[in-house]
Amino acid sequence: MSENIAASNTITSPEVLFQTSNASISQCDAQGKYILTFAEDQIVFRACELISFRRKIQKIDLTQLFASDTPDVEIISMPHCDRLFVFTIQEILELRDLFAGTFAMLELNSLIHKEIIRKGVLIKSN
Amino acid sequence: MKDIIRSQSVLKEEIIERINKQIKIEATSSSAYLAMAGWCDVRGYDNCAKFFFKQSDEERGHQLKFFHYLADMEAEAASPTIDEVEHEFSSLKAVFEKALENEISVTESIHDLVRMARKAGDIATEEFLRWFVQEQIEEEFVARKCVELFDVFGDEKLAIGMIEERILSISYDGGE
Repeated sequence: MSENIAASNTITSPEVLFQTSNASISQCDAQGKYILTFAEDQIVFRACELISFRRKIQKIDLTQLFASDTPDVEIISMPHCDRLFVFTIQEILELRDLFAGTFAMLELNSLIHKEIIRKGVLIKSN
Repeated sequence: MKDIIRSQSVLKEEIIERINKQIKIEATSSSAYLAMAGWCDVRGYDNCAKFFFKQSDEERGHQLKFFHYLADMEAEAASPTIDEVEHEFSSLKAVFEKALENEISVTESIHDLVRMARKAGDIATEEFLRWFVQEQIEEEFVARKCVELFDVFGDEKLAIGMIEERILSISYDGGE
């Protein structure tokens, strides 16, 4: 079963990293995890699981989905939360936007930590 | 806001993907050597078979080294599916030529990986790969010397006997 943010008391005030019209990804410092909110559903990821999920979304061949005679949906499994996701082309495009924005923010945050926070600590200790 | 992504994932995604590809290359290489060992064994080329069994184990060792590196860096290492490898060869010489060709491919792949790590500014991975660069110098040297034995002795029955006698003593002295 997926971990539901509403059902958990230990997750405190996650910060939204990026959001699109129907989805958002937040970071929870207390748990060291990420929360994807999509179509009123919330799923918690560890960093490597989030990266893995993004990779799966990026690898979907949209051209094939458009050309295919079968329904234009893609099924993605995420074993960490024991779930299957069925995404339409529109949802896939939205998730790609969401991940692009989220990872840009994460990269920016890492850069701030590297160049300002961690270096600041080193300078102070010297 | 904490830098969770840096705490939990050390390597860049493209490096992880490329190392996983290398894991597959090493696994396929191990499988190819095993097939060569089998081919030699059933034809009575016992020492050549021993040589390839050892090579197969070494490639498996390389595969695990990459695998552990990814796991140690909190990245997802993928246990690869292995494609079909060649099981039939026209001659013993052809087996060793194939082995040399294989080592050259692995060397090129390692060098590509080094260039990629360098471009990404991934000093840890570049340093980790140093061992593989050295290892490939040795692997290629040994494979080349094996093929050269056929140039020296030929590939007639008597010559193959002499090659069998020498094949296990080929080693790389590190350029000393």
